[in-house]
This record gives sequence, C-alpha cells and structure tokens, in this order.
Amino acid sequence: MLTFGKGNLRVPKLSRNVYIVAAGMTDFRKFYPEKQTVELCLEAIRMAVMDGLGMEPKKFLEEPNYCVHSQFADHFGDQLLAAAKVHDYAGFDPLGNIEVKTGGATGGSAAQAAIMAVASGVASCVPVIGWERMDEVSTRQGNSYIASAACKDFEYELGRSYTTYYGLPMQRYIHENKPLRETLAKIAQKNHHYARFSPYSQSPKDYTIEEILNSQIVSDPLTFPECCVMSTGAASVIIADEETAFRFTDKPVRVLGMGAGSHTLRTADRRNMPILLLPSETPEMYKDWPERDWPGFISFLAARFAAWQAYNMAGIHNPIRELDLLETHDAFTVSDIITYEDIGLRPYGRGAEFIESGEAYLESDLPSERKLPTNLSGGLIGSMHSVGATGIFQIAEIFWQIRNEWEKFHADEKYWNKYGKTKPKDFKSLQVPNATRGMAISHAGTGSHVTALILERGW
Amino acid sequence: MNNRKIRQHVMIPSDGAPKLAKEWFKEKIPDDLLVRFNPREIVHVHTYGGLSKFFKGLTEGALLGTKCWNCGGPEGNIWLPPRVHCPDCWRKMTWMTIDPTGAKIYSHSTTNLPGAGFKGTVPCPLISLEIPKVWTRPMSYLSKFAEDEPYIGMPVKPVFRRRNPTYTILDLAWVPVD
Repeated sequence: MLTFGKGNLRVPKLSRNVYIVAAGMTDFRKFYPEKQTVELCLEAIRMAVMDGLGMEPKKFLEEPNYCVHSQFADHFGDQLLAAAKVHDYAGFDPLGNIEVKTGGATGGSAAQAAIMAVASGVASCVPVIGWERMDEVSTRQGNSYIASAACKDFEYELGRSYTTYYGLPMQRYIHENKPLRETLAKIAQKNHHYARFSPYSQSPKDYTIEEILNSQIVSDPLTFPECCVMSTGAASVIIADEETAFRFTDKPVRVLGMGAGSHTLRTADRRNMPILLLPSETPEMYKDWPERDWPGFISFLAARFAAWQAYNMAGIHNPIRELDLLETHDAFTVSDIITYEDIGLRPYGRGAEFIESGEAYLESDLPSERKLPTNLSGGLIGSMHSVGATGIFQIAEIFWQIRNEWEKFHADEKYWNKYGKTKPKDFKSLQVPNATRGMAISHAGTGSHVTALILERGW
Repeated sequence: MNNRKIRQHVMIPSDGAPKLAKEWFKEKIPDDLLVRFNPREIVHVHTYGGLSKFFKGLTEGALLGTKCWNCGGPEGNIWLPPRVHCPDCWRKMTWMTIDPTGAKIYSHSTTNLPGAGFKGTVPCPLISLEIPKVWTRPMSYLSKFAEDEPYIGMPVKPVFRRRNPTYTILDLAWVPVD
C-alpha cells in the first residue's frame, strides 16, 4: 500500500508480559559433517536449559506447552517437515508446534510467533529452535538456492545471487548519499573483529580496510569480506509468561516492543511514497526529499515499518540514547548502513555518521548514552548466517548481554574447547556495562520481511 | 512344499557412481564419518499464466507492461515487471506496449561469481532501469559494455532474443544507445 489507513498504524501491544528466560546455540561452521541437524538443534536447546537455566532436561520437558521451529529453506536441509524431526528428537511430542518461514527474517519471526503465543495466553512456556543446514551443497549452489527466494520469473535468472541483488542498491546508495567507500568497509572490519571474541563464530579476523577493499569482488562493489557467511548450526531461546519466567530465573528479560514489516519481494516494484516518520523525526527533516525516491533502492520500508511499531510500542524516541546495544542483520555492508537510517539512528542519507562517529563501537570514548554498540556478536558477516538460526542467535546475544552474562558464555574456555578452538591471547570482554535494553533486527531478501524486537531487563 | 516357491528378487542396480565424499569445501572428511553424495536431476514445468503475454512479447520484440486505469491517472504508472492484477484495487490491469525511448540505467552491479546454473558469461553487468512512464525499476542486464560501463544515468535501449528464445527474462537485454 502507498498510503496508510488508521487501522494499518495501530501500535502493537501484548495482552500480558512476556519474557525470555534462556538461550543457547552451537558454534557455526561452513561444513559440519560431525553432526546431523537434529543433533545441532538438541545441543542448542540443551545449552539453554542446562547451562542457562541449570535444569535437568527431564525436568524442563515437563514445562513447555507449545513450540516454534525456525528454518528458512527446505532446499538446503533436503527434508520437508524437518521441524517434526527436530521436535520429536528433542522429546517435545505431543506438543503442538509450528515451523515459521520468512526468509532471512525467519528467526525474528519465529521468536515473535512464540511471544504472541505466550502473550495471548495460549502458551506459557515456548522453546524456539532455529537452524539451517547449508553445507550439503557447494557455495555456488547455495547462492542459487538463496536466490530462488528472489522472484523466479523476473530476478532469479539475473545473477542467481543476492550479492548482485545488493550490489544494485549499493551502487545507488553510493551515488545518492556519497558515503566514503571506506565507511562501508569499516562495518565489515568491525564485525569480523568482534567475531574474534566469540567461540561460536565462523569468520573471525582482523582485517585492514585495504584488505577488505582489495579482496575479490563478488558482484561489484561488494567484496568477499563484505558479505555474510553461509553457515550450518542452530540457536534457541525459551519464551515464558511471568509466573513461569520468575520460577525459572531471577533475571528474565522482558519483551518491551516488537514490530514486523514487509515490502515487495522484487526491489524493482518499490513505488515512491511519503516517508513514514519515526517518533524522533519531523517532516522538516525531509523537506527536500520529494525530489528523491523513497523507499527506492536505498531504504527498506519493511525495516522502517517494523521499527515504527516497535518504537511506538516501547515508547522509544531516541534509540541511541534509550538502547544499550543493537544486533542488525548485516548480510552485506550496504544493507547495514541502510538499516541504520531505517531504524532512525541517523536521518535518511546519513547512515555513515553512525560508523564514523564511533557510536557503533563498544570501545569508543563517547559517553555510554551516545553509543549504541552494534553486532558485538560478530553479526552475519563475522559470526554466522545459518539462516533459520540467525534471528534467534541475535536475541540470544542480547539476552546474555542484558543479564550481564556475555562473559559467562564467551570468555569461558569451556566453550572454546568444546568447539576445538583456542581463545585468542588478546581476548577482551565485549560485555556492555550495565546493559538494560537491546534491539534485534531480523531481515529477509532485499527487505521483503523485517522484524524488530526490543528487550529490556525484566527484574 | 513351501520351500519350493518361486520368489522374485528386489534388486538395487549399481550405477557405478562414487557414493561417498572424501572431501567437501576443501576439507578432508574424517574416516569415521559417512558423507554420502545425493545427486539429483529434476524437471519442473512452470506456467507464466496471465503473464504469458509478456514473455511471449519478448520473443516477438515487444516490451509489454500493465497499467491500472482504476487507480492510475492518464500519465505513467506502468508496471514492469507487469502484474495481471492491481495490488491497490485488485482489479485486472490493462496491457500496453512500453516505449523505451529515454531509458537510463538506475543502478548496476557487475557479477563475477553468479550462483550455480547462471546462463550468461561473466563478467555480466546486471542493471536496474529507469524508463519514462514506468514507475517501477526493472532488473535486466547489459549485453554490450565497454570498460567504463555501465554507469548510473547511461542511456540504453532494449534488445530481444527472438531467435532461440529461452522463454525467461533473459530474452530481454539492454545495449548502449550509441
């Protein structure tokens, strides 16, 4: 729709409080022949229950009354109804369950489905398990499978790769907004760097900007280190009502705001419309905009709509000041810079400032209220993009941060050893001091589905 | 007596193809793991349904779009890719021939590493187009290009694969106007 009716712009609300009580994940790898999908999924939920809640699985299995499963593409795992196998393998039968599919945003949508189940009163304890087995096919075939989530009639044959489908917006973004090319590379540099401090990550490395820009170009101008990894692995969170949450833990994390948006699957079909303003924005900010395309190629209406709902629901006006950390869906450097603008970290056209100002970095000297450390997990570029797990992985990382448990789940040698890795000698803590609120953005296609989830300390 | 029954056998004929992967993604597979090749060749048939007119048009050298007279005004508002129905009023739209005069490149990305099964040669410049009276930005490719091409704003014109058509969107390409 090009104009909104009052009904479209209702602010979401939950009928009762909903909490996240535990999170778990596997490490993420390009190739994971040691474990089948069901084994990975069981290990992710077992970590949430045993390491997180400190509960015996047998005892925990007495609690759930609904389950949500999260997998992007049956093509990859080559098993229709894979969720039924995961569900059975983890001993959840005969509980009702659904498998959610919204492309790259599958994990974010799955978490929201579980939140809705609990908020409605239908369920009180809902495990959410997400995974993707992307290693059965070559990388080129994997790209072709992912590209079949673009329009098969009008886009797929034109490159069969999302790197091209993001190369097109990237050229246009650079043309219209003129960021330094180096600024985009800095996003990749930051996320590969943060991935070094995660035992779960697939692509940790300290790159120089020159190395990133001089790497092989996949589809211009995107170079290899600017693109997300293709991963196999699993992640889980457990969603609960208030009574269950406080029975499980003294420190549950509460859902403060949530939103979901969509836009045409084909980037081509995005007709011009007036900019949907966030609570912090005014029409004057965009008075010269009628000359330009919006959303066009350089913004995601779906992300803007999701953020609009989540901010209005949470009562957030200034996200940098009012949030302590952020996880974005950094599938490509360009999608990340666009997202900064869609979610109002900067007005449209000025996303580069969020990187150049240092606000996106935990280490920057700015006062904490002027920082919003972003993708401390390493994100999709540095850590993982096991598609069905990704949105859940983001929520897990925010959950640990808000509970001041980042070190428990990243610094402990136990996890590095578990995955056969060596903790770096120059290891540093990425715990955000006194983190109380965080937001996760889960994103599909070239912005066909986007979810926003705002979490805060619930105790 | 029963022992003398004639029983048929179920056979699994050997196709002689290698069954187990020794390495994958340049990693050697440990001996204790079985990683089995699972090849396949599958044919789907896909209908273009109400959009058949568009793909047939390409093979005849015509670029067709659709327009909703119920919602759109007299000028512009042409859909390319076309849709049979208008997403704003759900009425059927009207087919019309698009005049590509004045078409320009809106954005571009030259791929070196397309996904498996891509039909073209590489490097291949993929492009998005800005066409007068068309309010979408269709994706296509530039089939002839010099070193400094494509660029945003570059004037282009369509060419059609009328001989040996693929009956896909690849039957439409764009070339420099000059």
